[in-house]
Amino acid sequence: MTSTAERVPGSAQAEPGTRRGGTGRFRPAGSASRGGRGPGRTPGRRSLTSSRAPLVLLAPAAILLLALVVYPLVRLLVISFQDYGLRAIFTGQAGFAGFSNYTNVLTDASFWPVILRTALVTGAMVIGTIGIGMAVSQMLTRLGVVMRTVVSVVLVLAWAMPNVASSLVWQWLFQPFYGVLNWLITQLGVFGDHTQDNWASTPGQALTIVLSLVIWQAVPFVALTLYAAQSQIAPEYYEAGSLDGASAWSMYRAITLPALVPTLLLVTILSVIWDFNVFNQIWLLTKGGPEDTTLTLGIWTFVQSFVSNAYGQGAAIAVISTLILGALTSYYIRRLVRSGEEDL
Amino acid sequence: MTAPTVTPTTSASAPTAGSGSPAVPAPTVAAPVRRRRRRPRVLVNVIAVAFCLVWVFPIYWMVNTAFKPSDEVTTLTPIWFPLRPTLENFTRALTQDGFLVYLRNSAIVVVSAVLLSIVVGFLASAALSRFRFRGRRAILVAILFVQMIPSGALLIPLFLSFQTLGLLNSYIGLILAYVASVLPFSIWVMRGFFVAVPVEIEEAAKVDGAGTFRILWSVLFPLVMPGVIATSVFAFIAAWNDYLTAYVMLKDQGMYTLPVWLAGFSTNKGTDFGGLMAASVLFSIPVVVFFLIVQRRLVSGMTAGAVKG
Repeated sequence: MTSTAERVPGSAQAEPGTRRGGTGRFRPAGSASRGGRGPGRTPGRRSLTSSRAPLVLLAPAAILLLALVVYPLVRLLVISFQDYGLRAIFTGQAGFAGFSNYTNVLTDASFWPVILRTALVTGAMVIGTIGIGMAVSQMLTRLGVVMRTVVSVVLVLAWAMPNVASSLVWQWLFQPFYGVLNWLITQLGVFGDHTQDNWASTPGQALTIVLSLVIWQAVPFVALTLYAAQSQIAPEYYEAGSLDGASAWSMYRAITLPALVPTLLLVTILSVIWDFNVFNQIWLLTKGGPEDTTLTLGIWTFVQSFVSNAYGQGAAIAVISTLILGALTSYYIRRLVRSGEEDL
Repeated sequence: MTAPTVTPTTSASAPTAGSGSPAVPAPTVAAPVRRRRRRPRVLVNVIAVAFCLVWVFPIYWMVNTAFKPSDEVTTLTPIWFPLRPTLENFTRALTQDGFLVYLRNSAIVVVSAVLLSIVVGFLASAALSRFRFRGRRAILVAILFVQMIPSGALLIPLFLSFQTLGLLNSYIGLILAYVASVLPFSIWVMRGFFVAVPVEIEEAAKVDGAGTFRILWSVLFPLVMPGVIATSVFAFIAAWNDYLTAYVMLKDQGMYTLPVWLAGFSTNKGTDFGGLMAASVLFSIPVVVFFLIVQRRLVSGMTAGAVKG
């Protein structure tokens, strides 16, 4: 469950490229040929023909997915219309409640604040990640081999850290009295004495540590992906640019950015999905507090269902979250389906 | 120009582009496009060093703390290197807390879930990439859609069903919950590796009289093997890192997996940050090692697809 949403390489969304292999160098604006539409990718290039074989091969996966994904999703929808609380757990009987879970959720005093907060927090995470990621990617193109390797290793290390471990490290970095970052910030002399701050229980500061943790861990994927895309841009374009006396900034705008657009779109949408779903880091650092300042949709779903045992309302929130995320990412799915047309 | 690959014009129109196997390591770190302009390198190097210091700092501080004796851990002025390096935090984490029990729980659950997902997913992805049949497209779109569902959404119904079935607090329940999240993406990823294998190879085997399953096993399997291994590693990391599902499904401390135990470490032990950081190091090591193995492939796959856009 959590796993696919996490920022690990396993995240399914990261895959679609894999099957396309290398498409050669990117050719900016105006290049008519869309890379990789050669003979190797003709539609219908399937040699194994047998009417029964695909069914036999699909059957085990179909059974597992029907039982573990499709049925639960249907049940989620059903529960969201039921009065499903602790009593229902013990009796196994839950009465239908019509739309009352939805009306309760929608009229809950926390509903709009949570929606707004989730949007703002997700937005801040995505913008911070993409912004720093673009800067780091550009920096990588300007470094020598040694320094570039060092930066890459650092990035991969931060990326690879399990987020439970990194959340605990963050707790330790920002510990009152003994947290090294409290000490460092105080030493800067600009912000006053912060040695005794308890970040996790101070409203604005709680959000700061959550954002810094998520962005710290999200930047490597974006930076390395953008860098890989940037290194595919033919050097000839920059040569032509510098012959014409273009400045570094105008070359970045005229050559690099247009070439990066498809990759930028992809990493942005993936970041939206991942950041919208952040759970571990918030839960381990602040549990949604203090005063609900880090209570996002994901945390709220969890609290309603597994802390308050109001599974019906939790399910209603989960359904609403799914619809919101679906709306946000429908563009991406459509694009994937369309771009994979010849394979699908 | 000493660019490592062919010139842009030829490579962009080259027919081999589409059939390039994802197994080919992409130039993520090496083989850069050399910038001709030799602008002052000093500034960018200074920025790079500063960036590295900031980004590596949390990891450095974790490792640093893990090797400190307890009186050097909680100091009002930070100690930047362990003055008397010690392994006592590691031995405490390993011995006192039943670390090995949680390690065993994690290993059993994660390995079973990954094996089941990979075997079943391998067959399904073969069907979805090598055959044409009615409903195939719909299945693929559904598999793609399933990945977008927020983390908590599947957990509520699974928890309630497992409650009824008595599968909470059991290996089987957690394994099935992990299969629910790992299987869809395994199918999707492995299908990508299948599609990259040229169809001519199968045709040759067919001419030689091999049957469908024979081709699948003797011809296709060895070819997509690197992809299967990469997918397994991705799946392993995803399940190994899971906290939420295990936290909800497991009630007995004896059943805890490593992330659940780790997350509860500080509350159980007060402020034993030396032990906590040592445990975090131990927990992270397998992930980091596996991650380093597959990271390049991931980035190369990502860009190939994105650039094609």
